Amino acid sequence: MPTVWVLYRQRLRRDRWQLLSWVLSIGVLAWFAVEAITKTFGDEASRAQVLKLATATPAILVLRGLARGPGLDSFTFFEIFTFLALLAGFMNTFMAVRHTRAEEESGRAELVSATAAGRWAPFAATVLHGIVANLVLAAAVALGFMGGGLAPAGSVVAGLATGAVGLAFLGVGLLAAEFFSTSRAANGISATLVMVAYLLRGFGDATGSVSPDGMTVTAAWPSWISPIGWGQQTFAYTGNQLWPLLLPVGLATVCGAVVVLIMSRRDVGASILVGRRGRWEARPWLRGPFALAWRLQQGSIIGWCAGGFATGLITGSLGSAIQSTLNSNASITAALREMIQAQGTSMTQLLVAALFEIAGVLAAACGVQAILRMRQEEAAGTAEFVLSEPVGRVRWLGSFMGLGAISVVLVMAFTALGAWLSLVASGDTSTAVGDVWATGVAQLPAALIYLAVPAVVFVVWPRATIPAGWALLGIGVVLGVYGGMVGLDQKIVDLSPFTHTPVVTDTGTDWSGGFWMLGIAAVIAVIALVTVPRREVGTA
Amino acid sequence: MDTVIQTTDLHKSFGPVKALDGLDLEVHAGEIHGFLGPNGAGKSTTLRILLGLARASSGSASVLGKDPWGDAVELHRRVASVPGDVSIWPNLSGGEAIDLISRLRGGVDDAAYRERKQQLCELFDFDPSKKGRAYSKGNRQKVALIAALVTPAEVYLLDEPTSGLDPLMEAVFTREVRRLSRENGASVLLSSHILSEVEQLADRVSIIRSGRIVDGGTLDSLRHLTRTEISFAQDSVDTTALAALSQIHDLAVAEGRIKFGVDSDRVHEVLPLLGSLGVKGLLVAPPSLEELFLRHYGDQVAPAAPEPTHDGAPHRRRHRTVAKTGA
Repeated sequence: MPTVWVLYRQRLRRDRWQLLSWVLSIGVLAWFAVEAITKTFGDEASRAQVLKLATATPAILVLRGLARGPGLDSFTFFEIFTFLALLAGFMNTFMAVRHTRAEEESGRAELVSATAAGRWAPFAATVLHGIVANLVLAAAVALGFMGGGLAPAGSVVAGLATGAVGLAFLGVGLLAAEFFSTSRAANGISATLVMVAYLLRGFGDATGSVSPDGMTVTAAWPSWISPIGWGQQTFAYTGNQLWPLLLPVGLATVCGAVVVLIMSRRDVGASILVGRRGRWEARPWLRGPFALAWRLQQGSIIGWCAGGFATGLITGSLGSAIQSTLNSNASITAALREMIQAQGTSMTQLLVAALFEIAGVLAAACGVQAILRMRQEEAAGTAEFVLSEPVGRVRWLGSFMGLGAISVVLVMAFTALGAWLSLVASGDTSTAVGDVWATGVAQLPAALIYLAVPAVVFVVWPRATIPAGWALLGIGVVLGVYGGMVGLDQKIVDLSPFTHTPVVTDTGTDWSGGFWMLGIAAVIAVIALVTVPRREVGTA
Repeated sequence: MDTVIQTTDLHKSFGPVKALDGLDLEVHAGEIHGFLGPNGAGKSTTLRILLGLARASSGSASVLGKDPWGDAVELHRRVASVPGDVSIWPNLSGGEAIDLISRLRGGVDDAAYRERKQQLCELFDFDPSKKGRAYSKGNRQKVALIAALVTPAEVYLLDEPTSGLDPLMEAVFTREVRRLSRENGASVLLSSHILSEVEQLADRVSIIRSGRIVDGGTLDSLRHLTRTEISFAQDSVDTTALAALSQIHDLAVAEGRIKFGVDSDRVHEVLPLLGSLGVKGLLVAPPSLEELFLRHYGDQVAPAAPEPTHDGAPHRRRHRTVAKTGA
């Protein structure tokens, strides 16, 4: 049918950069994983040592996967596959919702369905678009692993496994879009299901049975109810089994069939669950731009805090587990030192510092988002509404920046709380227990820079705010968190704020980097606040 | 009379595009001032400058004697506005949005406020409990209107306030704005391309074209420049006497009726002749702003231009009217 083809090309064109960057990032990450592992754990002996530690530490298995021996290829699959599958899941649920519920919500679907395309051609085009995208993703992952020097056959299996998991979540996303009236809700619930699939598999892997030599793990039942768990069962390189992929493909088919059933009965724009009605009156506290900023972002701030809390819990349990299992492991300690560049004495401290850096990235993302929200307000035209009232621009910008700063602090507070709780519960008595709070504070300056810099961009070059915000964060993370690991030049690594985050150790903490960054963030924030009154308000 | 809004030689450029090109606008205290022009003429840009959302490239603007850019916050306590393109927060209900806006303006949440809000919601037949994303364009417009009308202000800047409203709601709006002006003595700058709405409400009008005011004044003074349309049944009336009169223009016969235009200030001079001819089915249509508007936008309707005879004239005019409303 030609209309399907027209709509497919429209989807391809609309997604060309977005999908390309997803597929390329996931493919490059596969290649990068092989490179990093070759560099850090070059010989089989050190990989065997790490595997032994991992299989003895359930918390590590949650973040990794099922072990199948210390070979470079199987070890790489163990380290990175579940993460690739997680990303494939997000890519697909967002893609599914973007072309279905979001279109219906905006009214564009109505425009299209009123033509000869009808109700089915857009759906068919979305499914076709999704299948092609996942095939390309499979190829990208396979090429990424092969590019790193792994066996071609196993690499193709790993690629197909990633694509199949993606396809399953395409179905999940399409189904979620049938249930919710807003793309926000459909995106939220389907992304949560991706996370649940990842954690279910993590739980199943962590509670699986370990072989006597500690080199292989067999999953427990929870892994078998997760699409990511199914993908793992291919055991690329060592097993190369394709039959487990029938499960995710089957799930996608079932979801698609249910969607067809629902769509054949419902109106365009309708959903199974009806949106809640709103309040007749605003709550008394909803007055002023700060309250508005909170009202608009409360959901996402709570989400970031939950993410920080979970990271904290994992950090605490990992730290104490490693401490008790293995008091000193030269290669792992060295790897951690590469990551955070400090001479700590305690393994727990190093690990806390390394994982809190990830929470620091979360906090920075939360800060970036506070500024991006303001730009979205402006682009949508609601900012004009507010600024037509007696609200000065400084107060307006200051409110969003203030809330951003508070949420950055909240994310780190919840991270530290999570780590502290799990360390106390595990009975760890090392100094690290108290240090989690200091380590949490140490992450704040870098995160605050990510609040201040986008704010200046927002003032001087509004249209660039959103791409610049995420790009700066991405560059900072790649340089600061992974730069040392892959041996980038120190001068380049130093460009990232995360490089200068103080590392809390019991041999004396150097806080100077933190104070410098705090000062820089403050100066940049003041520049933004001083220049904003000169700026016009507009949607362009 | 006091001036509440004044712009002098106001310019605004967006890159090479001149949105405003020497705009001189004056709004008196207590009047409803119609600001007429098609889309793209610079109405919204003018209002955005008066609200301090955009800054003039050159020239001066003042609202209540203050600088709209520098004194924005102070001014906005006394000024209410409806933006040209209303968008509201998708996850806030209409009621929440109205409350928020009025609180931002410094309104108090007392019983009087609630009563007034309730009253306006009923008048405009508006359900404030839906989430913003669920409202149609007309209902989003109502959020902005109710938010602007619910707390008293000295000056109202309304940018095409009735777009998306049905005729019933337009009537409600017209009544409310008239009440603001009569009871509260508020000044209203009403931008519109809907001429009938301005005609009903405005004391004075300014017509904007390509960023400058091309005509203005009271409706009466503008009507002097227009023609009143007179028509009656053809029957067997001899039109030679009519055609000889200098006050009469564009005499034409169409669909069994004789039609012509008369300079509006000279209608009385023609009436005796019509009486002596004993015409039947006489219709006298007063000049509309529509016609005034066409003088500035329909390039062919220059006052002295000779009109084509017979069917040509009415057709062409009808055609252009359609083109104008679509603009």
